[in-house]
Amino acid sequence: MTSNVPSRDHSVSVDAPALRLTGITKGFGKVRGVEDISLEIRNNEVVGLIGENGAGKSSLLKILTGIYQPDSGTIEAHGKVVRFRRPQDSAAVGIGVVHQEQSLLTNLSVAENIAMTGASAKEKGTKFGIYRWKKINKEAESVLAQVGSTVDPRAIVGDLPFADRQMVEIARALRVDEALDVPPLLILDEPTSILERNETETLEREIRALKDVGSVIFVSHRLDEVMRICDRILVMRHGRLVADRVTADVTQDDLFRLMIGHESRAPKRPSADGLGAGQPVLEIKGVSRKGAYRDVSLNVLPGQCVAIVGTIGSGREELCRAVFGADTCDSGQIVVDGKETRNWSMRTAVRNGVAYVPAERKVEGMVGGLTAADNLTLAYPGTATVGPFLSPGARRKLVADWFETLDVRPRDPKLRLERFSGGNQQKVVLGKWLLAEQLKLLVLDHPLRGLDAGAAETVNAQVQAACSRGVAVLLIADTIEEALDTAHVIVVMRDGEVTASYDLSVDSTTAVDLLERMV
Amino acid sequence: MTGTDTLAPARSTGDQSTPAAPRTRRRFEVRRGAEIGALLLLVVIFSVLNPDSFPTVVNLRTILDQAATPLIIGVGATLVILLGCIDLSVEGLMSVCGLAFVLLSANSRGPGDLGMWAIVIGLGVGALLGLANGLVHTQLKVPSFIVTLGMGFVAFGLATILFGEDQLPFLRNATLTSWPVQRLLGLPYSFWLAFVLVALGALVSRYTRIGRYTYAIGDNELIARDNGVPVNRYKVAVFTIAGACSGMAGILGTMELGSAPARIGIGTLFLTLAAVVIGGTSLGGGKGGILRTAVGVLLLTVLNNGLILSGVSPNVQSGVSGGILIIAIVGAAWPFRSRLRIVK
Repeated sequence: MTSNVPSRDHSVSVDAPALRLTGITKGFGKVRGVEDISLEIRNNEVVGLIGENGAGKSSLLKILTGIYQPDSGTIEAHGKVVRFRRPQDSAAVGIGVVHQEQSLLTNLSVAENIAMTGASAKEKGTKFGIYRWKKINKEAESVLAQVGSTVDPRAIVGDLPFADRQMVEIARALRVDEALDVPPLLILDEPTSILERNETETLEREIRALKDVGSVIFVSHRLDEVMRICDRILVMRHGRLVADRVTADVTQDDLFRLMIGHESRAPKRPSADGLGAGQPVLEIKGVSRKGAYRDVSLNVLPGQCVAIVGTIGSGREELCRAVFGADTCDSGQIVVDGKETRNWSMRTAVRNGVAYVPAERKVEGMVGGLTAADNLTLAYPGTATVGPFLSPGARRKLVADWFETLDVRPRDPKLRLERFSGGNQQKVVLGKWLLAEQLKLLVLDHPLRGLDAGAAETVNAQVQAACSRGVAVLLIADTIEEALDTAHVIVVMRDGEVTASYDLSVDSTTAVDLLERMV
Repeated sequence: MTGTDTLAPARSTGDQSTPAAPRTRRRFEVRRGAEIGALLLLVVIFSVLNPDSFPTVVNLRTILDQAATPLIIGVGATLVILLGCIDLSVEGLMSVCGLAFVLLSANSRGPGDLGMWAIVIGLGVGALLGLANGLVHTQLKVPSFIVTLGMGFVAFGLATILFGEDQLPFLRNATLTSWPVQRLLGLPYSFWLAFVLVALGALVSRYTRIGRYTYAIGDNELIARDNGVPVNRYKVAVFTIAGACSGMAGILGTMELGSAPARIGIGTLFLTLAAVVIGGTSLGGGKGGILRTAVGVLLLTVLNNGLILSGVSPNVQSGVSGGILIIAIVGAAWPFRSRLRIVK
């Protein structure tokens, strides 16, 4: 980078790859980590890393940035074996990261944010603890210029559009390597997921330009983007590296297949017995919310399960929150059971038979400090009360019945919910809604996230049972397979718009078809 | 490629949805004119209501002298609140520092006379208790609200013990007792002291690492930590500064009274916190500044002074101050109320 910096480490060979992994493995108990990953990133190369949710991309990145330590395998940076025990260690060999989450302080200026990560007082632009604003601003300007950004270093980060913030993050990640004499390796974790379409184009140009400076690992859900930007593409599936292809030699279709694997089976036809014709329980008519989704319309009939598939940033989570009344939409109409839901509070939604199982179970779905029994009767205490009073007897029976139905283990309703395992917590969260007779619409946001196979089966069975009772289900599935297994109708969303809709009782579709519409 | 893709997006859409030129940083965080406007409005109203008593030099001195204590405390309190914490130990620290100062100066009770060292030690006691606040908060992970509340009572208890059963100790040294009311350019020393501290505080929060990191920590402690800010160290330092500010205020109050009753600080805490919030520093941390607090202090002092001159009962005054505090907070949070999902 800066040529006037004297070389500190003469042993670095220029020809060695920026990064070489050999047999990297990392497991987390039951949760799949990464298995036997070997790869090479050369200098001045942009490499794409793709894979479905849970394919192990994040784990691999965490290993590369010193957050996780691999169980086995070696990492070489510029020809030297290194061990990353802390994030600083990976920064020290020239690896800079832009995480998926924003890591800028929004109340400070761009220049301050850049200066703050400096390793020494000199790099921080301070002397005896005193800020030298002119120096800080000037330095930020030159750092930004290196990545071709013209953001004003004095601007407050909170006032900048996301594309500019992303450029600031990239500039800052590159600055980590300033003092080193090796070309930097920049890791970008889904840098475009929060950007508008026109913003991503600018960013794409900038990333391609970074090739002259060093190398880039580009993680993304969007295949077209990866194909445009990257020289080479690595595909991960189930914790393994399944393909390493030069972009020119590969088509998007190939990549889809590699991501999903060849075992994609024909979908099981879910029973359509409970399907009531006539009045839909949920009608979404042309709803939009700025930055989340545009002009989405869909209907859910009684007893029907509609799954929405899409990647992060497709707007499906936001859409579901709007249905439940947890968020508002800018325009359009959401009608539940013939009633317009504008201005519904969550309480009104619950009273009208709408239930929501959130993805963030621990944060939004349960009160961990209360007993399982309390949690189970939280939403509809009416089922176990006499007048204004709780009826302990009726409640005990109700709770015992549902513990049996849901197979919650251990069968101890008096235990605090936070002490149960994730799967059993989820059963209770789901049961809380299922026990109400007035339940009409069940909105499930990643209901199987983090569950083992057994618990997932129980939860699925309960959802199916609810369907046959005539409850309408709106599902955000973790994986495409899950959607294919449970839903009657699959709606595909991409960048906030519905791109396709398949009625599985009529259409036949495969995971590859769906993925193609998603990315 | 699916039909929904536009593979060759029009590059000409260069006109991105960039908001109008982003604001650049205001040098001293004084952004809104509303508070200064309100202050001027109050001055005009009271001048019209009391043309003989309010707009006079004597009254100006009174107001500035009254503002001195909350201004000094406001410097520390603002820094702590910018961190996203709060310091409720102010009143207790004022008493114990004031008493330490009296007992170590020439006084009516005992022999101890350390001269100027009494001031240094008084400040040191404040800083030490502030340090304790910070250490308990960061190392034992107790919410600052609880730590400082407890520490305030501890300090108050210490003051009561120091005070003992005897008579109130009076300062014997006339130089000390008359110091606050001496004048420079027609204004009392007490005000100048506060002025210097406020200016220093504003400079620190703008031009030093501790000041900037205070803002960083207040905005998002986790991100600040990830960016290499030693969060705990800076928190402890800020609490120490706040403790020293309380000590300074206690010593100044003692000089003005010529003595140090344990209740010397009573009422200051509410006034200062109200001033910080009315000035526009967010209790959530990261937004605001010391100069804003100064405007808030002047606003409340002018209000109290004006109400007295207008013959309003003191009982009504506290009600008015409290009401204004609530209105100011509601007003500040109004544009964001739909985004505040949980308020505790």
